[in-house]
This record gives sequence, C-alpha cells and structure tokens, in this order.
Amino acid sequence: MSWDYLFIQAANGAVIGIIYALIAVGVTLIFSILKIVNFAHGDLYMLGGYCAYYVITLFGVPPLPAMFVSMAALFTIAIILERLLLTPLYSDATERKDEYGLIVTFGLAFFLRNIAIIAFGPFPLKPPSFISGVQHFGNLIVTNDRLFAGSAGIVLILALLYFMHRTIWGQALDAVSQSREAAAIVGINPRRFNSFAFGVGAALAAAAGALIAPIFSLAPDMGVLPNIQAYVIVILGGMGSVLGSIIAGIALGESEGLFTAFFPDPTRALAYTNAFGVLVLMIVLIFRPNGLFGRRHLRME
Amino acid sequence: MSENGILIEGSRVTKRFGGITANDGVDFAVAEGDLVGLIGPNGSGKTTLINVLTGHLTPDGGKVILRGRQVSGKPAHIYAATGVARTFQLTQLFGRMTVLENLMVPGLTRPRSSAHEVARRARACLEFLNLAHLEQLYAKNLSGGQQKLLELGRCLMLDPAILFLDEPFAGVHPHLRDELIKRIEELHRAGRTFVVVDHDMESILRISRRLVVMARGRKIADGPPEAVRTDQAVLAAYAGL
Amino acid sequence: MRHLHVYILLAVAVLALAYAPRVNPYWMHVAIIAMFYGILASSWSLLAGYAGLFSLGHMAFASIGGYASALLVQWYGIPIPLGMAAGVALCCALGGLIGWVCLRMSGPYLAIFTLGFAEIVRITFSTEDDITAGMAGLHTEPLFRAATRLPYFYTAFGLLVVSLALMGAIVQSRWGLFLRAIREDEQAAAASGIDVARFRILAFAIASGFAGLAGGFYGHYIGILTPSLGGLDLMAVLVVMAVIGGMERLPTAVGGAFAVEFLLELLREYGQWRLPIFGVILLLTMRFARNGLLTPFWLHFVRLGGGARGAAAVVAPGRKDSRA
Repeated sequence: MSWDYLFIQAANGAVIGIIYALIAVGVTLIFSILKIVNFAHGDLYMLGGYCAYYVITLFGVPPLPAMFVSMAALFTIAIILERLLLTPLYSDATERKDEYGLIVTFGLAFFLRNIAIIAFGPFPLKPPSFISGVQHFGNLIVTNDRLFAGSAGIVLILALLYFMHRTIWGQALDAVSQSREAAAIVGINPRRFNSFAFGVGAALAAAAGALIAPIFSLAPDMGVLPNIQAYVIVILGGMGSVLGSIIAGIALGESEGLFTAFFPDPTRALAYTNAFGVLVLMIVLIFRPNGLFGRRHLRME
Repeated sequence: MSENGILIEGSRVTKRFGGITANDGVDFAVAEGDLVGLIGPNGSGKTTLINVLTGHLTPDGGKVILRGRQVSGKPAHIYAATGVARTFQLTQLFGRMTVLENLMVPGLTRPRSSAHEVARRARACLEFLNLAHLEQLYAKNLSGGQQKLLELGRCLMLDPAILFLDEPFAGVHPHLRDELIKRIEELHRAGRTFVVVDHDMESILRISRRLVVMARGRKIADGPPEAVRTDQAVLAAYAGL
Repeated sequence: MRHLHVYILLAVAVLALAYAPRVNPYWMHVAIIAMFYGILASSWSLLAGYAGLFSLGHMAFASIGGYASALLVQWYGIPIPLGMAAGVALCCALGGLIGWVCLRMSGPYLAIFTLGFAEIVRITFSTEDDITAGMAGLHTEPLFRAATRLPYFYTAFGLLVVSLALMGAIVQSRWGLFLRAIREDEQAAAASGIDVARFRILAFAIASGFAGLAGGFYGHYIGILTPSLGGLDLMAVLVVMAVIGGMERLPTAVGGAFAVEFLLELLREYGQWRLPIFGVILLLTMRFARNGLLTPFWLHFVRLGGGARGAAAVVAPGRKDSRA
C-alpha cells in the first residue's frame, strides 16, 4: 500500500465526512425542535439529489443553481410533509409521541423510496460535474467534484452557523429548541418553527444529495446508509453541536476511508465499510443508550 | 430484621448528576413502624434520596441497607420484592391498562400468587380507596386525585413494609387530601412504615412522627416535628431560599 | 352465545382446511406467504405492541433463521425440522443477546440500534458469498418432495396456529400483563416488582424465535434465500401489516398481514405502485386510526362471544376468556 493511496483515501474521507455532517446537522436541527428522530432524512437527501439531476438535465440549468433549486424544492416539500403528517406531535391529545414520530417517519421513508423507484427508475443516474477535471497535488489526484463538494459543504454549514447565531430567525429557532413554553411566552409561535426547522433540515440534506450526485451515482436507496451515518455523527459530535458534527463527520469519513484502505480483503472492503459505520453506531449506543441527542429521556431529578 | 428495629437505612449516600451533588453524604434511617416526613426546599435532594432508597438510582457513594442486607446497586424490583413500595412525584401509572390491571400487576409479581387471590385482593383494595366503580376504566382517564389514590393502591398490592410517597398531596383537591391522610393514618396504625415527601407543611405536620429536613443535598435536621419546627438551621434554610 | 367468536374462528379454520385441496396453486402460494407474514406480524406485535420494544430487526431474525436452517441442512445433512429447530434456537439466543445489549435503550434509540443490527446482518449475508451465495441466492432443500403445495399449506397453517396459541397463552398470562406494564412505564413496572430486564430479554428472545421459525419455513418452502429477506423494505412491509391491522393485538396483526398480502396480489396490475400505496395507507392509519383499521372489527367480533374488552385471562379470573 502506498502513501499516495492512503492520502487519496484520506482526502475522499474528508469530503464524504463533510457531506455526512451536512445530513447530520439537519437530523440534529429537526430533533432539537420537533423532538423526533427523523427516519426519512436519508430519503430527503435522495430526493434532493434527484431533484438537482432533473433540473440540470431537463432545463439545462448549471449544477450550482440546480443545487439551490433543489434546496428550495425540498424545503417546500418538507414543509408540506410536516404539515400533513407531523402536526399531531404538537397536540396534547396525541399519546405515545415517540412511537408516532417513529412509525410515521419510517413509513414516510418507505413511501419516498418506493415512489422514487417508480419516478426515477431503479438504475443509477449520474448528473454532470459541477466542475469537471482533476487537481494534482504532487502525486495526488483529486477530482474537482470532490473538492467542490467539500468546500460547498463547508460553506453551507458556515452559512447555517451564521444564520443560527446572527439572524433573528436563527435566534428564535434556538429559543424554541431550548424551551417551547418560554419561546411561546415571548411571542414566538413554536408551530411555525417546527415547519421551518424541518424545511431547513431537508434543504441541507438536499444540498448534500446534489453535491454527492456527480461523485457517486443517484439511486432510490442511496439514503439508507447516510441516514445511519448521520446518527453516528450526531452521537459522536456531542449532542446537537454543529461544530462537533463537522468534526465527527470528517472523523467518520476518514475512519471509513482508512478502514477501506486497510481491510485485508479488498473485494469485501467496500461492503464492510458500510457495516463499519453501522457498527460504530451500535457500539456508541450501547455506551450512551439515550445519548444521541441529549437528555430528553432523563426523568429522574 | 435487624435487631435495632431499623427497616431501611441509607448510609453516607452521595449522588451526583454532572456537576451537581444532589445528595452529599446523607445518613437516613427509618425504624419499623415510623411515619417520617421528609421536607426541604426545591432541589434539596429529597426525590434523589427516595430514588436511591428504592433502588431507582445507584448511589455514587455510601450504601443502602434493607433489613440488615446491603442492597445498593441491585435493581428496583428487588427492593419491591423485599417490601419497599413507592409512588412517584408525577404520578406514573400504567396509563393504557385498566384500573384493576394496574393493581393486578404488583400482586402477580409475588411468587406463588394466584390470579384469583390477587384479583380478590385488588378489588378489596379498590373498595378501600373508593375506586371500585372505576375498575374497568383505563388509568389514564382518571382524575389527578384518583390517579394518586390508585398509585397508593398499587403500592399496597405489594403488601409492603415501608411506603415512600413522593409528594402525595401535590395538586390534590383538599377534600381528597383529607381522604388520603385518613388512609395513610389507617395504614400506619395497621403497622406499615411511611416516608412522606411533600411541600404541604400543614399535612406533613399533621401526620409525621418524625421530621427530616434537607437542604442543598444534606440533611440539616432530624427529630420530633415540634423540635424541628423551631430549629435555627431549618429556618435559615427556608429563609435563605 | 358464549364464545361465539371462538366457534366462528374454528369453523372458518375447518372450512379453510377442507377447501384447501381445491384452491388453485397460485392462491395457495399467496395463502402460504400470508401465513408466513402472519407469524412474523404477530411475533413483532408481541415485541413492539405489547412490550413497546419497537425493533426494526425482526426480519433480520427471519433471515438468520432461514439461512441457519438451510446451511445446517446443506452442510450436515440433518433433517429439515431439526435444522429449523436449530434456527429457532439460534434466533432465541441472538434475540436474547440483542435484548440484553439494548436494555437501557428506549423508543427511537432501540429502533436505530436494531436497524443497525439488521443492516449488518444483511451486509454480512450478501458479502460472505462463499458461504451464503450472496445476492445470487442460496438454494435450499425443499421441505416436501410433493407435486402440490398442499403439504406446505397445511404446515404453514399448523405453524401459524401453534405460534398464535403459544403467543396467545403468553399475552393472556401474567407475562403479557407485565410486558404491557413495561411498555407503559418501565420505572413504575420495576417499582411494582417486575424484573424489567428479564422480561425485556424474554420478549426479544421469544419474538425472535418465532421470526426464526417463520424464516426457516420460508427458506425451505420457497427454495432460495437472498439477503434482501432481512432488508429494510420487507421490514417496512411488516410494519405496514402490523400497524394497519393493529399492532397491539395478535389477531389484528395477523389480520393485517393477511389483508396486505392478499391486497398486494389482487392489486398486481398496479405493479410498483402497490408499495407506495401501502405506505400512504400506513401514514393515514397512523394519522387517523392509531389503533389499527381492524381493531374495531375485532373488538365487535369478540363481543359476539361475550368476551371482555381486551382483558387478559389473568385479569378476569372466573370469566373464561379463551381469545387466542
């Protein structure tokens, strides 16, 4: 194994990690406001990828604007879905909200995946590159698409950070996540922010899907594993911390890359790389059984 | 049974949550047949102490001795099996099970219990609590006060030696509260031991034989209610809220 | 008439068995698969509906049971029933282990954990293709060397009835009451003297055992096993079946499995649209009829026989309530 190979794996790992982080940040955002674990998040990511693909191929829009169109589309779709399906979560009349959120988002994932098979076909699709070509760093060759995906991911996360900390909407979102009651008292309508948070989370996932599409291909079931990886990052990243998510995302991407590089049987390395992330998730859950997103389930004083 | 009549004892109990020390070396022993009122400002560590003494929390330091046996670290159902029953600060019933089923559960956990016998006892218990007419209702559909009574009934079905009641009077209609106090006194006369946590001083003083005061995770006073009421440290703790 | 509902069920069963030889092979196959799902949906209902342990790893256990039995039969030439029994035992043990490992997890965390378990099982089965034949599929020994599907039909029927009888006995006993108490409130259950850990592990072990049984039968019936048996899509179909029927009662979960499986066949002309349609039905059920579409019918049906509203036998002693 050469150093070059390792470096390439490391560079790829970093890019994948940033994309994971983008998905994970959305999962965290949705959890902190709506108090549900969104099992359909990976499928929103899938929809985002396809949406960008069709905007590019049908309307001839360049990839970058197409990504923004896809984000806007998913933002809207997500809000519609949230209004249709998740409103019972905010009513006191609904019992067992955990179970409701779980089955509904799991069912939604099933629905979206199967609709995608019909609408987009089961075969992988690949949109054109954002920027074609490659960059040489000594002996290293990295495609422009990966560089672009990585940097765009970072820019989007920074934009989210700016939004959360510097704008009134972001501040309100933060207030709602800390206490719905207190937020309601100071005149924030928490319900509107449920929709908004779900929409923003979906838009970030859509961006991730659009960015990853030229690197890997689009497939209806492409969201299943990133959804799980997002949970890993949310745990490792320390409870809803955006910066933690970025670091954890890159760490997971890197360790997956290195896992692939060092796995003794190269024909199986790729398959088990996916299992590796899942295994990390299971082990972390064993040690932090309720620790994905903080202490919501802690009922003792 | 230990020879000095101590039923349950927490010795140097320490429990931390993150940076907060909820219990800081608390010694708390309850003698057989006593009726102890446990009071203290919010956040003084009363509920944590109860959770430790009933096996719902494992202490970080110190130990719990139940009838002369060290039990700290054992799961809560072992405590229940040894005669320790409790209610919860916010009533925790089996919401989507009927009132009768709620009482059947603890009864049936006893070894060699027969369903017939447990059902008979459960119905007797419902009579005692004036809930008999609600037998087939889901527990979640009861009123707040009825839920408190049912939770007390669920404790009784364990045939416990000691009952820990965490804020039994909170949010209960005064009429129902008197009813509750009557039941507690009746059960106490029948030989059961009680530890009652509440903020309702009037009720606590009415029933307690012994008053224990906690503040900031420590026990600051312990003795007959008359003595504790005039204790300087207690007055300071409540005044210094 | 007392126990009218029981007699009606018995009569329907007898009619089904008597009529079976005249059913055409296609619909017989559908019925066999429906009964396979019936075992899975009812055992998942025991786990998720009664004990409140929302596992997404149930199909993974069916897959494990299927592969274990098929491989044991293939390697050691043991009789198929013995292979299936070994598969059940393995699933019980593994299920208990998973139940133990996730003792402190609740709600969505348990779902994520078991989802992870299922994915690892699926990935391993498809990657270790020198043992499992991977995506190409593992050819299995057929249970019967008969020209018709009739023996399979009777076997599936027998397995479903035995499974329901055993699980029915469990949920009617004090164990069922304890599982529901754990679902409602674990702390209160422990304070009432229930060994919560023991019953959670037990629920996982029992439910996984039945999943392994269903999987073992499926493998030796269908003749080929692929890793997708344990995949997320079939798990979702199982959730659809149990939730649409009513996941908190065994008969409604089985009813859901039957209804969905037969509808999937009846709506064959709609091809790929069937799955998303059932996805929508699932979402609508959750939104507007949380207890399941079949639950009201079942309760009416039970009332025909004078049975108490969903009461377990232990709760209404003296009143014989032989609901299975």
